[in-house]
Amino acid sequence: MLCLQIPFLVVFLYIIYRKGFANPDPSDADQRKLSRVDGLWVTFVIILFLGINIASIEYMPPISSARAVSTQQNIRDVDVTAESWSYEMSAREFEVGQAVRFSAKSADTMHSFAIYHPDGRMLFTMMLMPGLETPASIVHTFTEPGIYKVRCLEYCGAAHHEMRDEIVVK
Amino acid sequence: MVTATNIVQRIPLLGKMFSVDTSTGLEEINAWPSLMVLTSFVWLAVAGLLGVALPLTQLLGLDSALYYTALTAHGAALAFPFLFQLMIGVSLHRTAGCLGRPVTGWLPALIYIFMNVGSVLLTLAILGGLKISYALMYPLPIVGVQTGQWSMDVVILGFTGIALVITTVIVLYPVQVLWMLFFGREREDLVLERRTLRDPGMLGMAMAVLVLLVAGIPILIIAGLILLGLYGVIPLTAIAWATEPVVFQFAFFIFAHNLMEAMAIMIVAAVYATLPLYLADGTRKLFSDRLAKLALWILLVASLTSFFHHFFTMFPAMPSALAYHGNIMSWATGIGGALTIFTILATIWKHGLKPEPGTMALLMGFALYILDGVSAVVTSNVAWSFQIHGTMWQAGHTMGVLVAITLMWMGVFYHHYPVITGRRLNRVKGNWFVVLYSIGAAGAFYSFLAAGVAGMPRRFAAWDQEGWMVYGNLVLIFGLLIAAGLVVFAWDLLNSREIETSPGEQTVAAE
Repeated sequence: MLCLQIPFLVVFLYIIYRKGFANPDPSDADQRKLSRVDGLWVTFVIILFLGINIASIEYMPPISSARAVSTQQNIRDVDVTAESWSYEMSAREFEVGQAVRFSAKSADTMHSFAIYHPDGRMLFTMMLMPGLETPASIVHTFTEPGIYKVRCLEYCGAAHHEMRDEIVVK
Repeated sequence: MVTATNIVQRIPLLGKMFSVDTSTGLEEINAWPSLMVLTSFVWLAVAGLLGVALPLTQLLGLDSALYYTALTAHGAALAFPFLFQLMIGVSLHRTAGCLGRPVTGWLPALIYIFMNVGSVLLTLAILGGLKISYALMYPLPIVGVQTGQWSMDVVILGFTGIALVITTVIVLYPVQVLWMLFFGREREDLVLERRTLRDPGMLGMAMAVLVLLVAGIPILIIAGLILLGLYGVIPLTAIAWATEPVVFQFAFFIFAHNLMEAMAIMIVAAVYATLPLYLADGTRKLFSDRLAKLALWILLVASLTSFFHHFFTMFPAMPSALAYHGNIMSWATGIGGALTIFTILATIWKHGLKPEPGTMALLMGFALYILDGVSAVVTSNVAWSFQIHGTMWQAGHTMGVLVAITLMWMGVFYHHYPVITGRRLNRVKGNWFVVLYSIGAAGAFYSFLAAGVAGMPRRFAAWDQEGWMVYGNLVLIFGLLIAAGLVVFAWDLLNSREIETSPGEQTVAAE
């Protein structure tokens, strides 16, 4: 993200400084030349955007979940029900390398089911909307042992910040 | 004299800042806009104090209920009665001055009353215990009653307020702008600078209000039915479909998403309209009107269906193709953004720039808007969304777009201030405002994003749970910088000096 933001900011501020403070005189820039720059700039942006998004397909949870389902023989199913302000889970202990399908739903209001790596970064989150017949589902394979925290990331009332749990990966 | 002028003049302190110049014959395009901008600044003060209170409740270890109350009230005050009302006020003045149509009659009055009475009712409901965040989190309002967190009375009060506010945003304001654009008689004496729909500035404004009208109707119908059900006018069983969370959430996000997009289109259009007035060589022309209009059309078309990005992690039954469509359309808005960046920079490069505080606010606001736009497309990518959604990253994106648009509208207001009030602002104070606000906004924005990457949840009253307090402290420091900038701006308004020229010259000088 910073690779996009920093160059933009540098060029933007430079042009404002140059044409607003240092030398505000009109430049004799050729209209055709500027139009060519525009064409190159927009082409660059389109290619960059397409490249990033095509490359990201592989990491989309629906795609990675589908791949795990097709390649793994044993997927462990875990049912999760979120209700203000706790989780009911059919299992809390898992093994490294095993694919786990978390199927989660909410029993009352909007919640989410987010799993945090022991180092503090979030692995994934699913929002849980009440009233849906199909639970939110994701397949995840834990690669490291440890205690993983579970949190609700959708504001759900007075004790939202206390809605958390833990799972153990051995 | 227009009623609004009377009201402005009777308000202590603020009346002096925003008093309408009645000597120019332009009162009919200035009075209601001035009152709306004045009132929006009152809401800004409220929202600002509540915003600072958020990290303070965490620093001082106060009760979490206080945090959630401040959070809900802060968002409710900032989004609509402040920013949207500021936008309504300035844009109505602009439209009127470009088309020669007065902003008088019952419709502007109704816009003002609905927006502010609605916001007051919602605030009272929040003070009465309704803590639902500005995103409502439906069905939390009803579940909160069932679990004894607040009463049904405050839900009804809050929903009544919300209904009045969204009626303003979705119906009254768009109808007012469309009426001025397409109907009514032009009055030559009210024209400041004639513009038509061929001008990118006016085109963007028309697009924005149409988006509000079209994208807002579903939530207006659903919220209206729920409100009638809560009042007991129609049985709730008869409208069971409307109370389904999935129905409400889809209608809500189609509106909420496009509301932000409409506000973005409108402010980009305002940049297109205002920047040429400050070019060093006096050409008063963009690098290319065609390119500017193309950017607006891309922003419009791409943003309309990009709302699917709100459902990546929410609606598991949504086909992956739709999710990816939302992903691509969100990034496609970046193409419109890229064209806008080029048009603005090429215009400045070719014609030079007069760096007045108003222009600089507009440009720095635009820079913040683009920085925020990059964070927005990152979170609109399906893969990344699953890893940052629900964190402070999202809060940073929302705050980023609001503070950027605020700075840009303040820049536009700075430009129009002499025409509305007959007074001019101080250049040094104006520059200080822009510098303090920009540094504060950028710092707060990146603090939010860093907190999001670190996994810190948004709308979460336990910042010390995993050592996230450091991000809270940074947000507080940069938030205080923004506040300092706004205090300088208010000080500037309070000490503005009368322009000692004839009315005709005032208009020319300001426009």
